[in-house]
Amino acid sequence: MIVKFLRNKVVEVEPRKDGTLRVSWRLTDDLLKMEVNLVVQPPALEIIEATAELGRFVPKGLEDASEIIEDVEGVNIGAGLRKIVRGVLGGPEGQSLLSEAVLECCNAVILHFTRPGLEIGEALETDEERLEAVRAMVKSSPRLVRSCISFQDDSPIMKGLDL
Amino acid sequence: MISFNRSQIIGAEFIDDDTIRFNGSQTDHIYNMEINMDVRISDGEIVKIEGDMKRYTNFVCPQAVPVLQTAVGMSLRTKDWDKAIMKEIGRKGCEHFAEIVIECGRCFEQALRSRDLYLALCTDPGLDQEAFLENWQPA
Repeated sequence: MIVKFLRNKVVEVEPRKDGTLRVSWRLTDDLLKMEVNLVVQPPALEIIEATAELGRFVPKGLEDASEIIEDVEGVNIGAGLRKIVRGVLGGPEGQSLLSEAVLECCNAVILHFTRPGLEIGEALETDEERLEAVRAMVKSSPRLVRSCISFQDDSPIMKGLDL
Repeated sequence: MISFNRSQIIGAEFIDDDTIRFNGSQTDHIYNMEINMDVRISDGEIVKIEGDMKRYTNFVCPQAVPVLQTAVGMSLRTKDWDKAIMKEIGRKGCEHFAEIVIECGRCFEQALRSRDLYLALCTDPGLDQEAFLENWQPA
């Protein structure tokens, strides 16, 4: 059956020579075209630059997205991020699109830092070694505790961990 | 070079007058998952869902597949539906399945708008598309 609607979305993280991370987020569907770009400065993961551009049929409340998004400059990717970003960019319904785009950019930055640890775990030879590597990751990242089925209290991964 | 890349693709079919079928996939350097779900248009209720976990990070992850059934009966028209999906499907199951379901949900009204505009253009190619969308209301 022919689809009557199609949305494509991509987010990319690109480390740059100056140590910053450039995050590019793009969405295109039958009615909307949207692009958000952030520059993030480690180690505090501060958003030092934020731009947005929308086209095709721009939702109400997002006509000035390129100005509104500047309000996230200075925000750090860390504790309380969702509340902060939604607070800064919140407002009329349409603007949630902008805040969710920024949050997806930030999530991609976190996954950029997560990837090397997972690769190290993958290179281990036995199931026991791999289990210990996952447990070590949970211990060092408390935000993972109860974040999904793998890290719920009754998961075999959490057995013996008092977190 | 790019160190992390994620793509999401959401397609919507209208399988009858009151049912929209979403196919959503999410692929990145770490995960690869797919969701198929049917939603009743009149009330936004998820009536059927299935998921396929193709690439994941540990041996517990696949246990999140049956948790998806919790979504059946939830409506995409209730307030904070996306938070409910993240809590029930994401936290108790898999966050990445929840991300796809949420993206399908975000496409719900947009897909209806798109279908209606397409049909309207079939009968009136010169239609003022902006005005049509501005005045659009869900049936």
